[in-house]
Amino acid sequence: MNAKEHLCTDNRFSAPHRATQWRKVALFCAAVPLLLCFSLFFGPSGMGLPDIQTPFGSAILSLRFNRLLMGLMTGAALSASGVIFQALLRNPLAEPYVLGVSGGAGLGATLCILLSSGVLVTVGLPVVAFISSLLTLMLVYTIAGQGSSGPPSVYSLILSGVIVSSICSSIIMFLVSTASIEGLHSVIWWMLGSLQPVPAGQQLLSAALITGGIAGIWLLSPQLNALALGREMAHYQGLRADRVIAAGLLLGTLLAATAVALSGMIGFVGLIVPHVMRAIFGPDHRKLVPLAALGGGAFLVLCDAIARTIFSPVEIPVGVVTALAGGPFFLIILQRRMKQAWIS
Amino acid sequence: MERAALTFSDVSAGYRARKVLDEVTFTVNEGELVSLIGPNGCGKSTLLKTAAALIKPLSGRVELFGRDVQRIKPAERASLLGVVPQKIESPMAFSVTEIVSNGRISSMGRWGTLSASDHDLIERAMIYTDVSGLRDRYFSELSGGEQQRVALAMVLAQDPRIIMLDESISHLDINHRQEVLQILLNLNREKRMTILLVSHDLTLSAGISDRFLLMDAGRLVKAGTPAEVLEPALLSTVYNCELQVKQDPYSGTLQVTGALDNLRHQRKLGRTVHVIAGGGSGLELYRRLLIEGYEVTTGVLNRLDSDAESARALSVRSVLEQPFSAIARDAVDEARKMIDSADVVVISSVPFGSGNIVNLELAAEAASKGKVVLFAAGIEQRDYTKEHAVRPLTEILVAEGASPWNTIQELMAELLRLQPSP
Repeated sequence: MNAKEHLCTDNRFSAPHRATQWRKVALFCAAVPLLLCFSLFFGPSGMGLPDIQTPFGSAILSLRFNRLLMGLMTGAALSASGVIFQALLRNPLAEPYVLGVSGGAGLGATLCILLSSGVLVTVGLPVVAFISSLLTLMLVYTIAGQGSSGPPSVYSLILSGVIVSSICSSIIMFLVSTASIEGLHSVIWWMLGSLQPVPAGQQLLSAALITGGIAGIWLLSPQLNALALGREMAHYQGLRADRVIAAGLLLGTLLAATAVALSGMIGFVGLIVPHVMRAIFGPDHRKLVPLAALGGGAFLVLCDAIARTIFSPVEIPVGVVTALAGGPFFLIILQRRMKQAWIS
Repeated sequence: MERAALTFSDVSAGYRARKVLDEVTFTVNEGELVSLIGPNGCGKSTLLKTAAALIKPLSGRVELFGRDVQRIKPAERASLLGVVPQKIESPMAFSVTEIVSNGRISSMGRWGTLSASDHDLIERAMIYTDVSGLRDRYFSELSGGEQQRVALAMVLAQDPRIIMLDESISHLDINHRQEVLQILLNLNREKRMTILLVSHDLTLSAGISDRFLLMDAGRLVKAGTPAEVLEPALLSTVYNCELQVKQDPYSGTLQVTGALDNLRHQRKLGRTVHVIAGGGSGLELYRRLLIEGYEVTTGVLNRLDSDAESARALSVRSVLEQPFSAIARDAVDEARKMIDSADVVVISSVPFGSGNIVNLELAAEAASKGKVVLFAAGIEQRDYTKEHAVRPLTEILVAEGASPWNTIQELMAELLRLQPSP
């Protein structure tokens, strides 16, 4: 008999058991597929699932499914990009639009749509959008960093972001006003934001970029938690803070640019969905990043279902629905739970 | 053999166009508690940032335990050196546990998973700083003192060998400051943690530090024990104001105070009043006389007497006697000299007993030499001597022309009347 085997020699403390929010998370994860299926029932051709036996019905269903995928990708990308910009800048206002990233992507995409055609647009659009938004972000950073020692302050970043953003939209406006009629139509439609399915090639490419981008951000999430206390503190705790920030900005820009190239300028999702998800599930980015991506995707899919049905057969831009329908709903949630979302 | 924990050799550092540190050289040994002091903007924070490799030195070398800090991997550096900043802010609603867990960020797994020993360190840090009761509260909702303890817990969870604090306690109220300081002292004494404390409270630092580093305009002006560094002349130049350093009579710690002489900056009458006081009867007199512009001396006072304390605080020249002992001859001689050089002698409403009756005798002696003596009325009611010595002495006083006073206003008017017209 060896009595020692029964002795507990490990007198270390262990983490106390905490009631986790897994039930909330599980509920949410179960609700999302249901909502997605639900959205398949809506369309300008009428409510309810079309008859897939007929070629017409199956075409409608595949169209709706395609739009579902578009919405899921775009919403997830915008929301995740909002999460990372808010985390890196430690500012509740940060999102792709405020930093000029979306504006830059929009400018690049407009040029691409007006100047080229065919295959080039299909594959080139996300790439051009990414490059132009990256250039814009660099421009914003350079302007904001003028005259300060060290990295630019959040306020100067946001200020110069807003300025650059409005310059971008002015140039877009100029380009639109001088465009030919057919170019005008496609640019305007694209700018209003719509989830009209893009060619399969672009869809695949975007899906890959978005999945990669969100996965990348998810990998950064423990570091993002540490960065919540600021760049200096993160450095003291042994993080290569500047690298994390650079990687994060790059991934956030990639996501925003891909979303813009995919579905145009859809506002609101990148700003408000991260806040609401943070209010419900807490600020831990390990949970927040995937949940916000999922939430953003589901939200946009739902908004699109409403947009294409409510005045059918006329379809209204999905951006209108995100702000008009989503705004009040989210404001109510945030009012009640603002403390959990953001304290400053 | 003491090991060097942090070494600066000829380090110059700064920001883009501005050099902040100018060839700073010093060593902090393992287990030391060192205070870094100096006026605002002298480069203390920059020094900490350079030590933590947040700023790369322009020239020179910073070493942590003998290794170039720029070459130590970030994760390893975090296990050697922790920094508690002035204030940390968490804009998002992280709980206290989540914040403290950040201290283990560099040893976390890819998905932020913590090992058993990580949990152990986190729990110990929270217990040590007494924040485990706050674990589920939101960090941003805590009071300043609690936040500072959580910040300390987070840095402790890093399990570093040096902790640097950047004025982290100056903005706390006295109660929380004591709490945090006590934790630091315990860490230093129990765990031999090396501590570098940037501080504005020189008195507080003097009480706990092994050594001081004094900086001015980016240079290290002086390094040494508190007694070596806290020299009034040196401090007054560095801080560019009048400073006094005194030793606390009870604990022996050094106390640095700004000169309280605003009382005397106003006008000088060039007249000296010697005050015979005790038992708190002198404080108001000293103050009023100083405000009016008189030079004030006092004595003989018992060292533990509250009037002795107030005389010290007001920088009134005084003759003191050891507590609980009869006034010795040399103290009497000293007081006699003071009285001789004074223009007026004022006796407060001090009770007289066998211990201090000698003061009254001195006053009577002065009166018979023609000195003006003013005594508080009702002096005979305050006679506690066995042989009722006050009455005969008062009679001498009155016979020699001394007059009583009732209120301080009256006394001041009388003093003014006595003043020779210019």
